Amino acid sequence: MTAATVSRPVHVGVSGGSVSTGTGTLLRFMLRRDRIRFPAWTLGLTLLMTYFATALDTLVQSPEDLEGLTAFSGSPAGALFGGPGFGFDDLTLERFLAGQYGLYVAIGAGLMGLLTVVRHTRTEERSGRAELIRANVVGRHAQLTAALTLTAAMAILVALLIGATLTGRGFDAAGSMLFGASVGAVALAFAGIAAVTVQMSEYPRAASGMAGAALGAAFVLRGLGDMATVQGSGPSWLSWLSPIGWSQQTAAYVHNRWWPLAISLTFAAATATTAYVLSARRDFGAGLVPSRPGSPRAATWLAGPFALAFRLHRASLIGWSAALLVAGLAYGSFTQPLLDGFENAPEDLLAVMGGSEDLLDGYLGMMGLTMALAVGVYVVLAVQTLRAEETEGRTEPVLATSVSRTVWLGSHVAVAALGVPWLLLVGGLGVGLGASVSTGEAGLIGDVLLGHVAHTPAVWLILAATAFLYAAVPRLLPAIWVVVGYGLIAGYFAPILDIPAAALRLSPFEHVGDYPLEDISGVAVVMLTLLVGVLLQAAVIVFRRRDLGTGT
Amino acid sequence: MTAAIDIHHIEKSFGRVRALDGLDLQVETGSVHGFLGPNSAGKSTTIRILLGLLRADAGRARMLGGDPWADAVPLHRRLAYVPGDVELWPSLTGGEAIDLFARLRGGTDPVRRDELCQRFDLDPSRKGRTYSKGNRQKVALIAALASDVELLLLDEPTAGLDPLMEAVFQECIREAKDAGRTVLLSSHILAQVEVLADQISIIRQGRIVETGSLADLRHLTRTSVDAITDRPVDALAGLPGVHGLRSEDGHVRFEVDGDHLAAVVRHLGDLDVQGLTVRPPTLEQLLLRHYGNQLAHNGAAEVA
Repeated sequence: MTAATVSRPVHVGVSGGSVSTGTGTLLRFMLRRDRIRFPAWTLGLTLLMTYFATALDTLVQSPEDLEGLTAFSGSPAGALFGGPGFGFDDLTLERFLAGQYGLYVAIGAGLMGLLTVVRHTRTEERSGRAELIRANVVGRHAQLTAALTLTAAMAILVALLIGATLTGRGFDAAGSMLFGASVGAVALAFAGIAAVTVQMSEYPRAASGMAGAALGAAFVLRGLGDMATVQGSGPSWLSWLSPIGWSQQTAAYVHNRWWPLAISLTFAAATATTAYVLSARRDFGAGLVPSRPGSPRAATWLAGPFALAFRLHRASLIGWSAALLVAGLAYGSFTQPLLDGFENAPEDLLAVMGGSEDLLDGYLGMMGLTMALAVGVYVVLAVQTLRAEETEGRTEPVLATSVSRTVWLGSHVAVAALGVPWLLLVGGLGVGLGASVSTGEAGLIGDVLLGHVAHTPAVWLILAATAFLYAAVPRLLPAIWVVVGYGLIAGYFAPILDIPAAALRLSPFEHVGDYPLEDISGVAVVMLTLLVGVLLQAAVIVFRRRDLGTGT
Repeated sequence: MTAAIDIHHIEKSFGRVRALDGLDLQVETGSVHGFLGPNSAGKSTTIRILLGLLRADAGRARMLGGDPWADAVPLHRRLAYVPGDVELWPSLTGGEAIDLFARLRGGTDPVRRDELCQRFDLDPSRKGRTYSKGNRQKVALIAALASDVELLLLDEPTAGLDPLMEAVFQECIREAKDAGRTVLLSSHILAQVEVLADQISIIRQGRIVETGSLADLRHLTRTSVDAITDRPVDALAGLPGVHGLRSEDGHVRFEVDGDHLAAVVRHLGDLDVQGLTVRPPTLEQLLLRHYGNQLAHNGAAEVA
């Protein structure tokens, strides 16, 4: 035996390391990877708050303006989309800011928390990169610990930045710091939830989906609870079931109570502990829910390119249908509370909804536009899956069979195109049912359904334009979001922003008309459909000419 | 006999990268044609042009009597393709993918499909995302081999298979040949091509540098000779075509160019040969001659 071997340090058994060995190194590595995302999230949320504050400053010039705001914000609808309205009877700018807009910064913080945890745990594990990491001197819990530490650092920084910024605007310092801490607490709570969901599923998208559903549930729970609070009757305790609710219950600038945040911290600690326990009970790379074997044979209907396209879009169509139905029911059931809440609203606010005369029609028409925009997002995402099929190498073997390019592209576009009226119908059904039950006018359903489905050609135009971009220059596909975003701005803010009529016509959604407030323009329907046909024809022609992305 | 694939001087560039630089390739109907070359020599690009997935910048290509770009769909009914990197739909099982490919191609033979699943030891009830690379490759191979087609385009089809499955694959290709199918088999695994191919084309940097039967190609290269003689062999060194002669205690080793082999053997007869070993060149040597140092540096691991 040589001297060299003798002098080497000897490790015996499992000594010399713990389950969290390597956490520090991993944390530094995560910070390095997130050198853009870290400041983007923390500064972004701070900027969002600053933007709300500045916008409110310019909007509210006098005490009367402030009173006008109370009318809406103090209503049940205001409570649903804002909060329980602490101190709104003696409204100040900062109370309104924290009570009405704080919710959206809190949701942003929740997204930050859950996305960061999923990104550094399950996504890494799924991609196989974590396997390389774990083969080194790294403890079993190091990755999760480092991810949670990183998220906690982001949450604390957001809390401090928001607190300091609001104090800097001359708001009460104690309230500002508490408000900042409330926002940070939401990030911690959802980091904890995501730490649990990443243990459950093998797939990062499913993990963030579950955590995102929890965020949505938290929003709805506190919305219902806050509505009950404002109305003075009903299950106001629902707000206390929601991590967002705990943060709102601090009542910054009013009661300035810190103790609800103790619930948030306990919740975050409990979920994180659960995550550690669960992670020790599963294999690396596996979820708690094992994947089941499927059918060894294809169903007889799965025989052609259209069937394949439908099979690939099916899960997403089911998900969207469920989401739009629920959202429609929720929004629809607010029709009556909203009408009550708007009775005393200022004229400017009413103008957005089409004036006080047609408030009901205006709201329902607006819901149609909202659903159309949502379905617009669906069609863009649907075409993006086409691009993924191509770049990930699954299109190539299909086109190597007797499926032509025209048929391949056409099948996918056809499935998405049929999905458009279907989803509008489902969303409209939700809104219509909700509105009918809420107002007691059963006749509303028909109007609402018609108003929703009438947007089909407009959404088709988005689909055709996206398909054309994909066929011609797949790299530029994300540019279509500009069109969707413009449709949203033109649809919602045209009266406030004084957008000229000619510019308004550029949005695909401004032609058919928001029925029942406006009449449906048959000419627009025909013209849009013709344009869709032309664009799709062009898409097929350019797609047949270009090289297929080779993926590898 | 007509050519199943007939490519004349095809060129293809991706931006400034020249992938194919005047490639010529003829594959006879009913033959197994080995398409040999290191990575990024242009093998996959050639196959994708044959599939009409890419359009050639210049040159002329015919496949099964049709134009690969213009007649893509009718031609695809008569061929099956296995890509080098098989990607499956994460939510579809392997069995569903096999059936789907067969149906999209226009026909399916369920008996043959099940038999192949057994031979390749594939569990068709697992979801696409749970398969390893080798299993994904089996899915594509089974889908291709189960279909009744005239032409098989196989792009490094066994890169992820273990030796046992490799043997099954070779069996299947022989059966395909017996059934009269044409096979274009791209590979950088030399042993595979050596065993299966009737004809071989070697591609390097977007051109075919050598083509012919294994025998033809051996003709072009040097044979290793190892002999034990009683008499001095100095005269051998002066013969044309003899290289690297080393002699030690009556044991002589040298290499000889294929077309001079006959003359050298005649000479050896006069030298009272006690023992003689003559080894044909392996494809490694063929490739080494074409790629020289570049292969030794970049491709040694892949060839091994």
